[in-house]
Amino acid sequence: TERESAMAARKRASSDATTTAEATKLPSAAASDPQIAPSKAGRILRYSLIFLFPYLYLIFYHYSIESELKKWILINAAISFAGFFLTLAMIPVASRYVLKRNLFGYDINKKGTPQGSIKVPESLGIVVGIVFLVLTILFQYFHFTADSNWLVEYNAALASICFMILLGFVDDVLDIPWRVKLLLPSIAALPLLMAYAGHTTILIPKPLVPYLGLEILDLGWVYKLYMGLLAVFCTNSINIHAGLNGLEVGQTVVIASAILIHNVMQIGASTDPEHKQAHAFSVYLTQPLLATSLALLSYNWYPSSVFVGDTYTYFAGMTMAVVGILGHFSETLLLFFIPQVLNFLLSLPQLSGYIPCPRHRLPRWAPIYSSGLFDPRTGLLTGTNDGTVVNLFLRQFGRMSEKSLCILLLVFQVVNHTYSLFFLKAAGGGLMHVWNAIPGILLGNAINFERVIVDLLRIDSALGCCFCFLLRWFLTGWYK
Amino acid sequence: REERGRERESAMAARKRASSDATTTAEATTLPSAAAADPQIAPSKAGRILRYSLIFLVPYLYLIFYHYSIESELKKWILINAAISFAGFFLTLAMIPVALRYVLKRNLFGYDINKKGTPQGSIKVPESLGIVVGIVFLVLTILFQYFHFTADSNWLVVYNAALASICFMILLGFVDDVLDIPWRVKLLLPSIAALPLLMAYAGHTTILIPKPLVPYVGLEILDLGWVYKLYMGLLAVFCTNSINIHAGLNGLEVSQTVVIASAILIHNVMQIGASTNPEHKQAHAFSVYLTQPLLATSLGLLSYNWYPSSVFVGDTYTYFAGMTMAVVGILGHFSETLLLFFIPQVLNFLLSLPQLSGYIPCPRHRLPRWAPIYSSGLFDPQTGLLTGTNDGTVVNLFLRQFGRMSEKSLCILLLVFQVMNHTCSLFSLKAAGFVYGTFEIHCPGLKL
Repeated sequence: TERESAMAARKRASSDATTTAEATKLPSAAASDPQIAPSKAGRILRYSLIFLFPYLYLIFYHYSIESELKKWILINAAISFAGFFLTLAMIPVASRYVLKRNLFGYDINKKGTPQGSIKVPESLGIVVGIVFLVLTILFQYFHFTADSNWLVEYNAALASICFMILLGFVDDVLDIPWRVKLLLPSIAALPLLMAYAGHTTILIPKPLVPYLGLEILDLGWVYKLYMGLLAVFCTNSINIHAGLNGLEVGQTVVIASAILIHNVMQIGASTDPEHKQAHAFSVYLTQPLLATSLALLSYNWYPSSVFVGDTYTYFAGMTMAVVGILGHFSETLLLFFIPQVLNFLLSLPQLSGYIPCPRHRLPRWAPIYSSGLFDPRTGLLTGTNDGTVVNLFLRQFGRMSEKSLCILLLVFQVVNHTYSLFFLKAAGGGLMHVWNAIPGILLGNAINFERVIVDLLRIDSALGCCFCFLLRWFLTGWYK
Repeated sequence: REERGRERESAMAARKRASSDATTTAEATTLPSAAAADPQIAPSKAGRILRYSLIFLVPYLYLIFYHYSIESELKKWILINAAISFAGFFLTLAMIPVALRYVLKRNLFGYDINKKGTPQGSIKVPESLGIVVGIVFLVLTILFQYFHFTADSNWLVVYNAALASICFMILLGFVDDVLDIPWRVKLLLPSIAALPLLMAYAGHTTILIPKPLVPYVGLEILDLGWVYKLYMGLLAVFCTNSINIHAGLNGLEVSQTVVIASAILIHNVMQIGASTNPEHKQAHAFSVYLTQPLLATSLGLLSYNWYPSSVFVGDTYTYFAGMTMAVVGILGHFSETLLLFFIPQVLNFLLSLPQLSGYIPCPRHRLPRWAPIYSSGLFDPQTGLLTGTNDGTVVNLFLRQFGRMSEKSLCILLLVFQVMNHTCSLFSLKAAGFVYGTFEIHCPGLKL
């Protein structure tokens, strides 16, 4: 969304009345601040039941998880639930201060309509970030453990996420140039890299062993480099897969839900305590992320009352990178990020400058040449030739409203997750074991390696075919 | 709410998406300084600052190398940390001119009200440059972990918790600078930021009753338990806010931090050298690892903030500095000594209490400045002197006691007062023995 911040002189007397928002009235439970629309918390909570039911079913019935672990997961869930309401309460308060300091933007996907002239407060990700930090810090008090290794990782994770929120907010306020922005997540990931005491080995798939001559490869510092790059990737990929009301938060909510289901599946199905511990660790950080993000989504979903800013996308990306790294399922995380990877690959030509890159690569008003068009009468968006998944979907599926497009993208994300989780289950969790496990555990589980690899190859080629098809269509579109 | 000597009238202009407009040029007083001059602010006073810091550095290095025999491994780590901090000084020095361009572009500035009526009173001075110090400090301290190889995961927990606390405080301080949080909430922020520390603190929560009081109390050792943690949280609130209100003159906040940090370092080295208890040395070494970067980055900031200020530091800096010192005091187990070092700030806090609590009417600014004849505060543009008001601050107290003086002289006088306090404190620690009996429980074997 376009940030045209027109600043007015700030009086030191009590604040002036800002423009009143044209609120769409919703039968929602949350308190409404006179300056922003009521939250859609009721609807959000109802939709989140879609996730909550299977999740709780998995925890309580399907798997038998030992009571202590279950207790901690539930305590964490309770804290997160409280965090949902805290965030919900804080956002209207923060919006007032944010607007007072003229940190706002105009919704360019509504240009030409009355809603296009409302000042929408920006950077509300700061509320989510601070509440998240408070929740995760307090959870330490409940999670009694003598394991100082766990405490080191937990505190390093907190330090990394906190640093990322700080850098994200500094970016929102000071507008850091993009080359520096690329570097920020790797600086913020430093505490994590310093504290990471896990495996830096990967297992070579059996078919490749004769060629490499090794079964296990210790990557050492290269693995740490990979971790740093993963942080950069997760944060920035969410940042660029954006532009529609509620897309950034929506995708984070979907990915976080998938992470939680994956974690619970691993905890339930595994017999290795270290493995369970790692996935439990991920749960302890992802549940608060999910809860606070749902609260933000209550205000950010179409039509957005608040914008989230880089603060949120950096915070969310970093949290997910952290749980992926410390939970030892970073490759699975990348599977969940496939739509973001796709978006990144589509964006590469423009971002690298190989193809001219316009200031905004969103569907919007534009000269006839790029044929991007927002029609205020019909309220539909048309895709431009820019290389983003948003535009790709518009080109493929035709003009559609902003809300429908966002829902479609989220459905695509869910489909990807379902597919990934199913694939993982069908492979007997072999993928994760292949890449992360200590050799002893792997041998103990008697997984049929050949079958796993063959499945991998089949699915890889299917994906590859899809990608080639897309690529061909995509290139023809440009060169036509 | 206390402002620190500057009226913030931020006039906002529309932000063009094209390249930035030229901001107002500062009237720079040129100084024979080494640092590169940004066309928009005066050259840094880094040369002078470095020269003055030798006053501290020489005795400090003497203590480390000659006076005490510290084991080589510890000495090595202290020196590595010192080298990293030294690099941090130059990094901060380089980043401040860059950052202030962005800060000015976003209209985060203030006017120096102690120069109202002069040409310098109309320069837009960039605010919140504490964010640069904070970020450089975090990078330095994070990287130091790489050099400090240790199998002691307890040390790592405590170190990471300290980093998380300080980082959270910088975040909250910057949010406050940008969003202008009401002061009642501001009081609460440091206790929230101190939470990681409280969770990770695994040290003693006992205090030793001073010998003369033992017959009355009936105990020699008192385990405070959670009350001690409450004390730690309150200490964090106190340190941050007390630096925040002992302000208002160019360079006062940063220089008081520099002076206190120097005192902390000397105390740490004295304890490391004189003690035989390894845990005790470890605790003080821990304090050194966080205080050296604080000192170095603050000196970098002081090069631009000293009179006349080219940049203002914002709540970001005072909260960050206060929290860092509270953290090292708590984790180094010398919080009572830290309070001794904070006596000028305690005095300021006590003087301020009547006004802050509302018992006596509290004006918007409690600084020496233009005011109606009733409060007799006056800035005279011809002679450039400040006159004290009847407000309850150490700044005004000194002006009332010692008469009108220039801003720079007053600031130096206040710093001399701070140094005198430190010297007395350190001397009294050496001579007094069991006045603070806590030393015995925290460091058995300490030779006083």
